[in-house]
Amino acid sequence: MKNPIIAFLGNPNVGKTSLFNRITKLHQHVGNYPGITVEKREGSVKANNKTYRIIDLPGTYTLFPTSMDEEIVYNVLADKKNLAHPDLVVVVAEPNNIKRSVVLYQQARELGVPAIFVVNMIDEVNAKGIDIDYQKLEAYLHTRVYTTDARNGKGIAQLIQAFDERPGYFPGQFEVDSTYELALEEAKKAFPLHTEYQTWQFIAQENISFLTKEQQQTLADIRKRHQLSPNVLQQTEAIKRNTKIEEDLKTIIIHKDNHHLHRTNRIDKVLLHPVLGYIIFFFLLFLVFQLVFILSEPIMDWIDENFSALIDYTASVLPEGPLSNLLTQGILAGIGGIIIFVPQIAILFLLISLMEETGYMSRVVFLMDRWLRPYGLNGKSVIPLMSGVGCAVPAIMAARNIENTKERLVTMLVTPFMTCAARLPIYVVLISLVIPNETFLGFGLQGLVLNLLYILGVVAALLSAAVLNKIIKNQHKSFLIFELPSYKTPDWRNVGMNMWEKTSGFLFQAGKIILAMAVILWVLGNFGPNDKFNNAEEYVQQANPTLSEEEFDEEVASFRLEHSFLGYMGMGIEPLVRPLGYDWKMGIGLISSFAAREVFVGTMATVYSLGEDIDPDDDEERETLLSRMRSEINRNTGQPSYNLASGISLLLFYAFAMQCMSTIAIMKRETGSWKWTLIQTVMMTGIAYIIAFVAYQLLK
Amino acid sequence: MQKSFSLDLLEVGEQATIRQLDSSELPSKFYEMGLLPGAVVEIKHKAPFHGPIGLQISNSNILIAIRKSEALHIFVEK
Repeated sequence: MKNPIIAFLGNPNVGKTSLFNRITKLHQHVGNYPGITVEKREGSVKANNKTYRIIDLPGTYTLFPTSMDEEIVYNVLADKKNLAHPDLVVVVAEPNNIKRSVVLYQQARELGVPAIFVVNMIDEVNAKGIDIDYQKLEAYLHTRVYTTDARNGKGIAQLIQAFDERPGYFPGQFEVDSTYELALEEAKKAFPLHTEYQTWQFIAQENISFLTKEQQQTLADIRKRHQLSPNVLQQTEAIKRNTKIEEDLKTIIIHKDNHHLHRTNRIDKVLLHPVLGYIIFFFLLFLVFQLVFILSEPIMDWIDENFSALIDYTASVLPEGPLSNLLTQGILAGIGGIIIFVPQIAILFLLISLMEETGYMSRVVFLMDRWLRPYGLNGKSVIPLMSGVGCAVPAIMAARNIENTKERLVTMLVTPFMTCAARLPIYVVLISLVIPNETFLGFGLQGLVLNLLYILGVVAALLSAAVLNKIIKNQHKSFLIFELPSYKTPDWRNVGMNMWEKTSGFLFQAGKIILAMAVILWVLGNFGPNDKFNNAEEYVQQANPTLSEEEFDEEVASFRLEHSFLGYMGMGIEPLVRPLGYDWKMGIGLISSFAAREVFVGTMATVYSLGEDIDPDDDEERETLLSRMRSEINRNTGQPSYNLASGISLLLFYAFAMQCMSTIAIMKRETGSWKWTLIQTVMMTGIAYIIAFVAYQLLK
Repeated sequence: MQKSFSLDLLEVGEQATIRQLDSSELPSKFYEMGLLPGAVVEIKHKAPFHGPIGLQISNSNILIAIRKSEALHIFVEK
């Protein structure tokens, strides 16, 4: 027998995810919904002698979708063929807002899905001043009503016991207006197998992705014949349902004084204050970034040390040779290069998810909407943009709850301009190479440049958003409506899960690419297409018969690199990057770091130390690498390869260019089209090229 | 009888009853989140420079934020 699917349905901020985490514990993973490309949170729980698959649907207020998240909910519930279609829906409500959850509950039942009702956060029922008559509520909903508190586990066991219930009969609570009856009758003829409400939903939605083109056309024809606008139909339903539920619940749920709201209002007086609110927000922002860097430093140092030790140890155990090089410099150094970001990303997402859990993030949306709108963005764009400082991949996914298609697209297109953690090591290496270690107006010049690069990321994101805003056409009116939830202490379980998901996602996604790149680079650098590579010794001997042994070895190594596949690729790209001030060795770095920015430093280590062991994570050895890079001469210009002009040009190139395959992959997944993915890549790299070119030509 | 006016004209702290929403301008989400004719709302916050408006829907004790440009299409009576 197949495992029963239980889906959790509810408004945002009712503690649905807390409940999901409580029940599935660590037995959960994030996957994709079949056919569409949206993250699905799924877990499992063993009880009643079977295994239940639990799906945490995105929070929604209605089954009429306005955003991608909400569309998934509708598709899963309405399409019986959907692989995630549940056997039982658990509608999660919170005491303060049972009315809105009843709307969802009724809609689900009338679609023909069995459902039970849960009042979560039951411990807050007194503070919120609410009296619920459960017997009457059960009779009204034609189902059992459970009470839980996900934070302390109250009622969870009883809820799991209820997963076998399949409430059957449910009388429709929504009568279609007589004005629409004719249209509904026509639609029912076209869809004889569906419930009446399902058919109504079909007419009342512009676009239902799981129907065939012909079916959609039939519906569009019916709408046209009867001059129906989906928006008006949806509004009619909302008004009818709400009015009726309001009336029906009057004797079932009694509201008294809500202390929570008093507290929330008091806090909001400060946090949403027209002046103070912004000061606090920017102070918090400053604090978040300080914490990210300060807290992560000791952990990063620790990882650094241990990884270097591991690499040294591996190198000492293995026999010297190209394979040992692959393992130590390619694979291990590459992995070390991403693990080192883990503390920063984990702390950043810890702080961001704290802001979300407490309810502060909605206040940020409130404060920032006015300032982002002129750029074609939305208050909700703040979350992707802020997460973008960690990693663009989860940041782009965070854009999903933006309802307006255009604003969501613009947000996703500009988010990769934010200075992500992967740019940091390149910035650090290049800054220490080309920016003098002096003070300027009392500040360290190097630190100042680093700060400027962060600001540059924000400016680039906003300016390009403003331009894209002019270019992209808007299909729908932009609107913004969101709830300002009551403040609450965070659920640490949720914070922990969220942090783990984001960090491990980054680690594994980036890890795979780095590993693959390390192997590819190794192969390209250790093999050559012709005789010059294979018999390098002879060629060098012939050209310079008088070299000492040491000089000879070095010369052979560099001759070999030049005539390896990697060398030919670097020289192939050289004409393209020469106007930016780069030579072929830097060209190799650009090619390889197209996979992921952080690969650049590792590649440079390989290129400048081929045949030797240099670990870029070890301080002392990094100095060796740096001094080698410093003394490197660009043979086109006769100047140092890394001088002020080429260094700045390179910094700017990395600030703008789309050097990240993970971002490209996620854009394809989230936009569902290659068009915008390619536009974004071309736009970013194009801007990077032009700006780097101008900078180099001005400075040289 | 009092005349209805658009919601954005209310000051912080003022209460009013929603009479009508311009349904051609606003998506059904506004209704679904509780901005229904007959609902009593109180303005709680206004972001500066014509930013969003925060309002409390009194019969359900929820705080909702909308843009000023949307409040223009919601008509209320005091």
